[in-house]
Amino acid sequence: MIIVISGGSGSGKSAYAEKKILSLRESEPLYYLATMQIYDGEGKKKVERHRTLREGKGFITIEQPLNVGEAAYAVEGRASVLLECMSNLTANEMFINAGTGLPEGLQAEARVMDGVRRLAKRTKHLVIVTNNVFEDGKRYDEGTMRYIETLGRINCRLAEIADEVTEVVAGIPVEVK
Amino acid sequence: MELYIGGYAQGKLDYVLKKSGCGLDSVVDGALEDFADIGQGKEIINHFHEWFFLKLQQKEEPEKIIKQILSKRKDLIIISNEVGCGIVPMEETQREYRERLGRCLCDIAEKADRVERIISGLGQKIK
Repeated sequence: MIIVISGGSGSGKSAYAEKKILSLRESEPLYYLATMQIYDGEGKKKVERHRTLREGKGFITIEQPLNVGEAAYAVEGRASVLLECMSNLTANEMFINAGTGLPEGLQAEARVMDGVRRLAKRTKHLVIVTNNVFEDGKRYDEGTMRYIETLGRINCRLAEIADEVTEVVAGIPVEVK
Repeated sequence: MELYIGGYAQGKLDYVLKKSGCGLDSVVDGALEDFADIGQGKEIINHFHEWFFLKLQQKEEPEKIIKQILSKRKDLIIISNEVGCGIVPMEETQREYRERLGRCLCDIAEKADRVERIISGLGQKIK
């Protein structure tokens, strides 16, 4: 089962995603796929905050800032996996291809979706956290617009294959699919 | 206590006024005035997010202040923009504002008896 959880910054989507996977999980192994690359103190603080949230809940953490499909080999069969989050993973995948002449958006989309499909095959429950970055109405530079479009496409593809899609608003889950 | 959230220019205040039957005289505008000592005649806090931002700029802790207010006033209606649904800003103060306002709204929503999201002037009851 694939569940996609979306929301803005500070919407409470992480806390809800955790609650969700913990409620679904029975006795299978439980993994947390962390995608964030730490560049500064603020990033470190964010990671720490999430770690504290997860503490004592039985998660095995796998750092997977790129090539999310590789995690399919690392998780033990039929596990429950919380993947957080798509906005970081997409940015990371696009960033490594930047300047190589490859269409980084399409590359990133293909790699991310291929990875998610491979993961989904190996897992009992796959909960994917993604981010709503689409509603500030601003026009950004070309690279950022390409990122927004890519994440938007990935979110659409994820929603297609998901059994459930939930948006979290002020900590409250709102069912979308 | 009730919370009404939504994007910019979605008709939140009009919706709340119509629904509650309150007049404009019962509204405190967070963009223009501090409401730490909100009087009994006032029932609606509009532009909560603007007030929150001002408090952060003044190096105060808006989360604590609103908690205190809400512990005394269980009848208040809070109206706030949702500001977290965009690209994470380059500027640190903007990032902090979005993150802290978001978490504060989660807390308020948890305590609220009713939460509605306003889209195009229509209310979607989510709690």
